[in-house]
Amino acid sequence: MSELRWNPLMGEWVATATHRQTRTFLPPADFCPLCPTKPGGFPTEIPEPTYDIVAFENRFPSLQPEPPAPAVEATELYPVRPGVGVCEVLVYTPHHNSTLAAEPVEQIHQLVEVWTDRFRELSALEFVEYVFIFENKGEAIGVTLHHPHGQIYAYPFIPPRVERELEQSRAHRDKTGRCLLCDILAGERADGRRIVASNDSFAAYVPFFARYPYEVHIASARHLQALTDMTDVEQRDLASILKTVLVAYDKLFDLSFPYMMVLHQRPSDGGDYDYYHFHIEFYPPLRTATKLKYLAGSESGAGMFINDTLAEEKAAELRARVAPVVWQKEGSGD
Amino acid sequence: MQRRQITLEDGRYLIFYTFDEEAASPTPPESAGDEQAPARVEEPTAEPQATEERRV
Repeated sequence: MSELRWNPLMGEWVATATHRQTRTFLPPADFCPLCPTKPGGFPTEIPEPTYDIVAFENRFPSLQPEPPAPAVEATELYPVRPGVGVCEVLVYTPHHNSTLAAEPVEQIHQLVEVWTDRFRELSALEFVEYVFIFENKGEAIGVTLHHPHGQIYAYPFIPPRVERELEQSRAHRDKTGRCLLCDILAGERADGRRIVASNDSFAAYVPFFARYPYEVHIASARHLQALTDMTDVEQRDLASILKTVLVAYDKLFDLSFPYMMVLHQRPSDGGDYDYYHFHIEFYPPLRTATKLKYLAGSESGAGMFINDTLAEEKAAELRARVAPVVWQKEGSGD
Repeated sequence: MQRRQITLEDGRYLIFYTFDEEAASPTPPESAGDEQAPARVEEPTAEPQATEERRV
């Protein structure tokens, strides 16, 4: 059962997907559904003995191209619509014990190419208005499968957090004639205290307004709206700075750092969003090696985050752990 | 980049993305600050089971 129920209090859709209760939960490594299917072995989701990168429709989707009719009838107060959309799983590597941070830049660049292809293809679907690429990593975030993977949700509407960024970006452009994120990036580069790493095409920084202690944003130096606007050099620079940030994260506490990684791109509804600016946001839940940043009363109930740390200090911690990254390496994972 | 799409038994699509050795190993951009290391050893690729689409 899956459907979209309208929340009139907040003016946003909530997906109901009851079948997800039965999805695979932390299976032993021998029965990982995202590993290749070895000859004579356990049949996984991927029916071949090896692969580079794989994308497939989620077996337990919140949204699907041909969804069932809603279980309840809509009313004037409570609009309901079928949960139309697409939910994909992206498997980064056949190596079960790897992570994106452990993969060479070459593999991350290949992932960027796949992201671009998936964005282009899903954006073209008539019922899709926003393509959201993301990764949840680590049990602290609630992942149910450890194998390195990300996800894509192709929504039939623009999700509220992106919509708010669009509104703010449009208002700033109307007021100043400039791009909001271009101004933010110029300010961060000029100040320098919150910059974690940069190259010709991207800068990674802890935002002035960070909600999580180790929140990092990666913004493109050039004003562009989506992966499909990037040159090949920019795609490679994106892979490189992603590797830099991920390695710095892992070095912080000498552990595989949990995070949510989300890509914010222009909507796919055919509108003109030239005032918007592509960027990636990381939300790591750890505030120390052993303590989590909880989304408690103020964060969940009021929508106001309380950050117990200074962005300038956390950026310095991450900056101290930035190291040269490797384009290729001998094998990985397992 | 090459892609090959198959349909799983339950009707879902699955897309294999593969990358040519030649195309995947150019000189990395200087701006990235990368350093070169030995190429990875690639595992052999299996024959496709149910080819529906192939695109480069």
